Amino acid sequence: MKILTTVKRVEDYESKIKVRPDQTWIVTEGVNYRANPFDEIAVEEALRLRDANMPSEVVVVSVGPAAAATEIRSGLAMGADRGILVKHDAFVDSDGVARLLQKVIEQEKPDLVLMGKQAVDVDDNVAGQLVAEYLGWGQATFASKKESLESPEEKAKKPGLKLSADKKSVQAAREVDGGLEVLEVQLPAIVTVDLRLNVPRYASLPNIMKAKKKPIQELTPQGLSVDVTPKVKVLKVEPPPARTAGIKVPDVATLVQKLHAEAKVI
Amino acid sequence: MANPLFSDREVSFQLYEVHGAGDLCQLPAFADHGRETFDLFLASARKIARDVLFPAYRPMDAEPPRLEGGRVRVHPAMKEIWPRLVELGMTNATRPSEVGGQELPVLVAMFAGGYLSAANGAATAYAGLTAGAAHLVEAFGSEEVRRTFHEPMISGRWSGTMALTEPHAGSSLADVRTTATPMPAGPGRYLLRGNKVFISGGDQDFTENIVHLALGRIEGAPAGIKGISLFAVPRLRPEDGRLVDNDCSSAGVFHKMGWRGIPSIALNFGERGDCVGWVVGTPHQGLGHMFQMMNEARLMVGMNGVATASAAYHESLEYARTRPQGRPLAARDPRTPQIPIVEHADVRRMLLKQKAIVEGGLSLLAECARLADLVRHGPEEDRERRRMLLDLLTPVGKSFPAEAGFVSNSLAVQIHGGYGYTAEYLPEAWLRDQKLNSIHEGTTGIQSLDLLGRKVVAGGGDALRALAAEFAAVEATNEERAGLRAALEKIAATTMELAQRGLAGDRDGMLAHSVDYLDAFSVLVISWQWAKMAAAARRGLERDRASADFYRGKIAAARWFFANELPRVSTLCDICLTDASFVEARPEWF
Ligand SMILES: Cc1cc2nc3c(=O)[nH]c(=O)nc-3n(C[C@H](O)[C@H](O)[C@H](O)COP(=O)(O)OP(=O)(O)OC[C@H]3O[C@@H](n4cnc5c(N)ncnc54)[C@H](O)[C@@H]3O)c2cc1C
Repeated sequence: MKILTTVKRVEDYESKIKVRPDQTWIVTEGVNYRANPFDEIAVEEALRLRDANMPSEVVVVSVGPAAAATEIRSGLAMGADRGILVKHDAFVDSDGVARLLQKVIEQEKPDLVLMGKQAVDVDDNVAGQLVAEYLGWGQATFASKKESLESPEEKAKKPGLKLSADKKSVQAAREVDGGLEVLEVQLPAIVTVDLRLNVPRYASLPNIMKAKKKPIQELTPQGLSVDVTPKVKVLKVEPPPARTAGIKVPDVATLVQKLHAEAKVI
Repeated sequence: MANPLFSDREVSFQLYEVHGAGDLCQLPAFADHGRETFDLFLASARKIARDVLFPAYRPMDAEPPRLEGGRVRVHPAMKEIWPRLVELGMTNATRPSEVGGQELPVLVAMFAGGYLSAANGAATAYAGLTAGAAHLVEAFGSEEVRRTFHEPMISGRWSGTMALTEPHAGSSLADVRTTATPMPAGPGRYLLRGNKVFISGGDQDFTENIVHLALGRIEGAPAGIKGISLFAVPRLRPEDGRLVDNDCSSAGVFHKMGWRGIPSIALNFGERGDCVGWVVGTPHQGLGHMFQMMNEARLMVGMNGVATASAAYHESLEYARTRPQGRPLAARDPRTPQIPIVEHADVRRMLLKQKAIVEGGLSLLAECARLADLVRHGPEEDRERRRMLLDLLTPVGKSFPAEAGFVSNSLAVQIHGGYGYTAEYLPEAWLRDQKLNSIHEGTTGIQSLDLLGRKVVAGGGDALRALAAEFAAVEATNEERAGLRAALEKIAATTMELAQRGLAGDRDGMLAHSVDYLDAFSVLVISWQWAKMAAAARRGLERDRASADFYRGKIAAARWFFANELPRVSTLCDICLTDASFVEARPEWF
């Protein structure tokens, strides 16, 4: 089985993010980067499915600048087999990413594509859906684990996605209001993953050393014949409003009154 | 913002801009490594620290280990934490591949350990002790000892401890009494009998077995340190393919003010006369062997001191930025909003002092770690000089973070005001933890005797000359250079004078003020580290304007250290030479 996963290089949410004075984007100098946390969950799920269905292969793909090789390498250090970097320095919108991935997927012909449901930098939540649309494949979005993350299944590192015995379809549970919905999709398919699918592993030093020797192939938008001129334009970026100072109230009655009349939350 | 424990920017600055982690990869031993592997490893370590270890810190502090039915139960969080530490590689990362390691530079491993220690020092200590015990077995054990104990420890199936201290033998290890009687069964095996106290991780319930690296005396051995041997004493001993009880009993757990995630226990060997120990290395030379683990552990303790201070520094920094209180000195109008306390100069004084201690200490540990790497793998002709420097700096690397770190941890409480004094906030817990670092692995008093009585006078002052040569290599400003030179000369002259007293037989006259001497020496050494960091920051400012705030902060902390600490060297040196108040004071005068 061949599983392709995507990893986006995003700003580390632990770094202090500042908006550029001209409000066109954020200040990127001095910011730390990391792999999108949803994508780490996708890689983890891919590794579990691979290990339960040998022989299989996990390929990690990223679209981004040369530095995004770092995030691919971190997927390889978790245990993925090889990487593909579609190198492009400028901003690519979700549609551009989806069209690039479509081409990579057509070349690689994986049985399953696992993607984070969204990237924590811009939170668009569309790339997976667009890729499925462009390929004409089935999709299951927001895959979660049926069991909790404290369950014995998770402790035993069981995959949350259930592959059918003939390996022709996969079942994914997704959280919906008040319960779980279970979908079955024919392979090949796109599955986007939610936070509660698994707890991703940490790269161990021995695996980091092995990752050094794993290949990363470089592609370009031109080479894939995809025009990545953005269709979405970022007009303005604003920081969230600064927190205003709190107030002290003398008693509960006043608190309730203020929550009702001023804050309008009750 | 969540407490980062260490600033990632700081870590990359020290590794790559000050201490040349990248250059280490030019050495054949580290050829498989590069910045990429280092950064991936550090990323894993910091993630485990922040996601797994730190959330367990408070619960482990609140529910310390208990002795139940003769066994110690530790906090269940350790069952989750232990495999993560082992998988990451913390039991063996710096060892060569022939023995299952990855030949990671000590420098990089030290920083990874820093994140983990800052998140949860007690949890990290189990791995540090196991790594040290496994390294002892690897370095000195016979073929049988290595086969029996090494792989189980590095794979994390078994843990390791260091079992030195006895009720009457703490600082004075020469007085160790545990006895070892040769067994007819086989060469190298002994029956042990004795009582150990304060053994960290001496019992726990998350590994199958525990191996104590214990000091004892073979029957008939000479008195004093020349008669001490080292033994591997497992809690369960392998016999005919099974593990059987080896007569090591947990006699009690100490109720401690800090480090409450790891038990310190009273451990009895051979109550039933059935405790087997395997001798490790040469009989009667056990203390010398043990020094390998003790020297590693001293740097680990130093790193814990830095880490404990670092976590508290970041906590108080965030607090100072968000706690509104008072108004600027010039604005007394009560209708104006209150300002965050970081706007008060005195709060910035406390923050800058913490920063100077934490980052100065970190830089010294990095210096020591790099020396350890070069002693093992650097150019042959420099190894002796570097070994001497490492020996000289080790007592400082152990004690400065502990002593100055305690001051820094106290400032973190202070910045939190009344809230800092409550258990609702973390700084009080870190203050309790920090205190241990000036006690275990040789008290500050013992470190100071090691420095003044042994290390600075070794080779007729060669070590001090080697240090002076290091100072000369720093691209310091003229002012920094003059300050460093004056302090170094003062210390050299004081050392000479004290050594002469020693040679003349006046040991008290030489050593009574050893702790003050250590204090002065530490200030000198940390000033050197700040000069190095300031030089790197000046270079950084020219190259990378985006990090200007970071570099300006560095230069400010260096200025603080030179202005506030370096002048103390001269006073302390004078005190070492002139004050005899307590030397002459009689016990009955108190
Ligand atoms: C939490 C904890 C964990 C520990 N973990 C371990 C462990 O895992 N393994 C282990 O073997 N030990 C361990 N220890 C023991 C520790 O190393 C000793 O407590 C320490 O070495 C001091 O010994 P002591 O307690 O007997 O104090 P003492 O040696 O009695 O010292 C008391 C005071 O006298 C001073 N003093 C003693 N001798 C001299 C001297 N010659 N000159 C000047 N001053 C002197 C000391 O500096 C100190 O201030 C641990 C201790 C604690 C508290």
